[in-house]
Amino acid sequence: MKRYLLTAIGIGITGAYLFPLYWMYATALKDDAEIVQYPPTLVPQRPFWNVGEVFFGRHMPSYLWNSLVVAVGVTALVIVLGTGCAYVLGRARGRWVDALLFFVLMMQVLPSSLVVTPLFVGFNLAGLLGTPRLAVILAQTAKALPFYVVICRASFAGVPRDLEEAALVDGHSRLAAFFHIAVPLARNGILVAAVLVFLQSFGEYVFARSMISDDGLQTATVGLSAFLGPNTSDWHGIMTYSAIYVTPILIIFVLLQRRIVAGLTAGAIK
Amino acid sequence: MQITLDGLQKHYGTYHALKSIDLAVPAGQFVALVGPSGCGKSTLLRTIAGLEAISAGTLRIAGEDVTRRPPRQRDVAMVFQSYALYPHMTVAENMGYALKLRRLNRTDIARRTQVAAATLGLEALLGRYPRELSGGQRQRVAMGRAIVRDPKVFLFDEPLSNLDAALRVHMRGELRDLHDRLAATSVYVTHDQIEAMTMADHVVVMRAGRIEQQGRPLDLYDRPASRFVAGFIGSPAMNILPGTVDPSGRAARLDGAEGPLLSLPMLLEPGRPVLLGLRPEHLRLSQEGGARFDGVVDHIESTGSTTFVKLKVASQAMVMTLARRLDVTLGDPMQIGFDPADLHIFDRESEASLVTQRDAPPRAGRA
Ligand SMILES: Nc1ncnc2c1ncn2[C@@H]1O[C@H](COP(=O)(O)OP(=O)(O)OP(=O)(O)O)[C@@H](O)[C@H]1O
Ligand SMILES: [Mg+2]
Repeated sequence: MKRYLLTAIGIGITGAYLFPLYWMYATALKDDAEIVQYPPTLVPQRPFWNVGEVFFGRHMPSYLWNSLVVAVGVTALVIVLGTGCAYVLGRARGRWVDALLFFVLMMQVLPSSLVVTPLFVGFNLAGLLGTPRLAVILAQTAKALPFYVVICRASFAGVPRDLEEAALVDGHSRLAAFFHIAVPLARNGILVAAVLVFLQSFGEYVFARSMISDDGLQTATVGLSAFLGPNTSDWHGIMTYSAIYVTPILIIFVLLQRRIVAGLTAGAIK
Repeated sequence: MQITLDGLQKHYGTYHALKSIDLAVPAGQFVALVGPSGCGKSTLLRTIAGLEAISAGTLRIAGEDVTRRPPRQRDVAMVFQSYALYPHMTVAENMGYALKLRRLNRTDIARRTQVAAATLGLEALLGRYPRELSGGQRQRVAMGRAIVRDPKVFLFDEPLSNLDAALRVHMRGELRDLHDRLAATSVYVTHDQIEAMTMADHVVVMRAGRIEQQGRPLDLYDRPASRFVAGFIGSPAMNILPGTVDPSGRAARLDGAEGPLLSLPMLLEPGRPVLLGLRPEHLRLSQEGGARFDGVVDHIESTGSTTFVKLKVASQAMVMTLARRLDVTLGDPMQIGFDPADLHIFDRESEASLVTQRDAPPRAGRA
């Protein structure tokens, strides 16, 4: 009895969480009249969809491409810079490491909107605003790196040191032991952290909004916000845009869901 | 291949873990490193493997100075206490990994893995992953990974300590057999002195980063150079009681005892404070003659074949082991005898043995 109750509560809360998502898809399928109808309909009465028109009419190929460039760039840079760092922090012990880790986590806490102004000034002086997507990649890398390092560190800490030592004795160099033993064994954590960084960067808004002025280089999130204004009326278009934008992200997340959960809890249980 | 350590030092920051270690392991020998926890056994083994940098001194393997070489250039194989099997590789891949890194071709690797697997009875397990093996099987795979390489030197860090008692005793014999068949040179770390005594040709007793004494197992048993070694080798541990040399210089009295004197096997200056050592297995119920003293039965334990008698002698505790059953009650007085040649005498201050300074008497029937 109690179990059913808890299950019911769980389903209720999940439903409340997912309702906006459902509303987005539902609205994308309604026509303008039905959208403003009162009381609102839960299920679209005259479903129709308009993907092609919104997709091309709103320059989504260009926006999505730019988002992809930013996300791929950030993810690649974060992996290159962060993996070694996470490994070292996972292996080294002591007060200094703890202090460093705390500092790294602090950087994670700072909101983008706070750091964007000094970054803008700095990038401007450095001439980076001439290549605005690169500027966004750098800024977002700085933002995502701590998160990546913290998650990967737990994975590396879970790889016994003995294994690398066995590899050294078996004939590996220090670096080769890292690449052939530590990295494969920590790959779940690395993969999960990389995917989360990718998704986070794909949805980045603040840096792109402030640093990219050329609409042809702008990302999808900012492109979406261009719809919104004091006298917004094209709800159907907005929701279709959102659905197109969100669906691939959802698919990635669902496909990797198992590993993401495993990777996030690795190191927690031990 | 022989291993030579010359004045080897290891510092961890300010902590001095190995203090001038001199050790020569001849080719083909099985050497055991023993000592209490934290004495530096693993550290010494790891410096030989190249996993710890050597702070000072030299290390030679097969005559070559390898002090500054990384592990991969030393041609040593190591069996870890945790076994350290690669979890993402099968048994066969684990065993062949070192060969793969040496760029042997695939058929050679498969052939040598097969041979090693056959030696250890692992043929049926080659396709499994480490997580699908029992503790004993993992231990064998770890051994297999070492022997396929046919290395100059085998290093073992407490390889049997995770096995249950029966398997441990069995693996002792197997390991020693393997060593003899491969004509290998092995260094074996253990904190179990019985393992060391039964397996090794040469035992090195370590204490606080130093070598306290080294030699053949029975030599350590018969002639411990210090109270520490005397207490460490042998089970149950040697009885060591404070005493004082008698005015005659030829006998000693247990401190606090009124009773008779223990005659000494040599002459010492009268009044010198000493420590008197007697192994439990060298004590016997006294008949006439020989050296003896009185005690009171305090506690008795029997395993069936052996009886452990705890005695109070001059208000100090002593243990005697007898290879037969004994029908006494607690509180019974008992006359205990021993052969004066079995008495160990240590200086009270330095705790060094005073017996080894003279020629050890022949020990017929025991050596
Ligand atoms: N990386 C390290 N940093 C600092 N001190 C260390 C380090 N490794 C070992 N030590 C110290 O060196 C000493 C010897 O350690 P070692 O591991 O060799 O002991 P051991 O004889 O193998 O003991 P056990 O039987 O418990 O395995 C210990 O006091 C230990 O605290
Ligand atoms: Mg150890």
